[in-house]
Amino acid sequence: MSGLLAAVEPVVRLSPQTRVIAAVLALAFMLLILDLIRRDRLLERYSIVWFLLGLVMLAGAAFPILLELLARALGVRDVTIALFSAVLLLLLGLALNFSVIASRQAKQITRLAQQSAIETIEQPGEIESTKPAIDKG
Amino acid sequence: MKTLVFIPAWNEEHSIEAVIADARKNLPKVDLLVIDDGSTDRTAARARRAGVMVASLPFNQGVGAAHQTGYIFALAHGYEACGQIDGDGQHPASELVRLVAVIESGDADLVVGSRFAGESDYRASRMRRGGQRMFSLLVSSATGQSFTDTTSGMRALNHRAMALFVRRYSSEFAEVESLQQAVRAGLTVRELPVGMLPRAEGKSFITPLVSAFYIFKTLVVLLVGQLRPRTNEPDGHP
Repeated sequence: MSGLLAAVEPVVRLSPQTRVIAAVLALAFMLLILDLIRRDRLLERYSIVWFLLGLVMLAGAAFPILLELLARALGVRDVTIALFSAVLLLLLGLALNFSVIASRQAKQITRLAQQSAIETIEQPGEIESTKPAIDKG
Repeated sequence: MKTLVFIPAWNEEHSIEAVIADARKNLPKVDLLVIDDGSTDRTAARARRAGVMVASLPFNQGVGAAHQTGYIFALAHGYEACGQIDGDGQHPASELVRLVAVIESGDADLVVGSRFAGESDYRASRMRRGGQRMFSLLVSSATGQSFTDTTSGMRALNHRAMALFVRRYSSEFAEVESLQQAVRAGLTVRELPVGMLPRAEGKSFITPLVSAFYIFKTLVVLLVGQLRPRTNEPDGHP
């Protein structure tokens, strides 16, 4: 029981093999983000947070001391648990953020639809021809 | 008073012409607007042929967005009052006349036609009535004002209520939540007993499970509504 409260020095660390895999994945992830921006599939606005996440992953793989500091701050002895907790919280925050964005956009779409509907009162003949074609890239 | 009556309609090609004709006959002085909520049938075309204004939403947005379209249009074009009846033929325009009259007399900001207040002979299944009672109970306790028919789509309102609903209007629980909104904003809301016809076409999809889910959702929506900051004076006129 005393171990729960007295967690000071992390005892479970990432193995070198894991660190290499993590670094490679982080680099691949960042390249993917760059490619998505380059091909216009991802707005810069949303890419920044993902890119930063890739950087953090890379930093964690390159400097294990960072993860150990994190584990110590959280009071856990296992670095992997600290890592999982941090990532889980981050993803939770991101998911919530996207729900907020989706809600805002739904409102904007509704208002646009309403304004376009009011415009159709004046130009009743043109509805079919003005259906916008959305470029799906 | 410059008054607009709008008719939200989603795939109501079989009833829309009759609804328009009924509204014309009973409300000869008002402007009529059909709000076609992304219908995929000939609702919009038939309404246009009947000679009324038609606002076509580019895709189905739900009843709340359709109502709000009416309020946005009414406020933008200087209407001081507006009434609304559903496009499925459930609401006799002769009853809406009485609601609009209350608004025009200035006795209320929002008037709702209730199937269950007074001696209405509206017949609904026991299930449906039970659900309605539940909604009424919830809204009544949330607002501190008694409501008997919280899902009625027959209503009339003035520019104050419209301004409130243009700013924010629930997309999923438009009828229920807007009552709470109006009362909380300090508007005078009244219910008037009206007669309604049963749905012409059996399109109601309310099963016990669905209504239980609705009631739960309504509960959440109303609770959240109670926590929203109060908006005391809708913008526009003092």
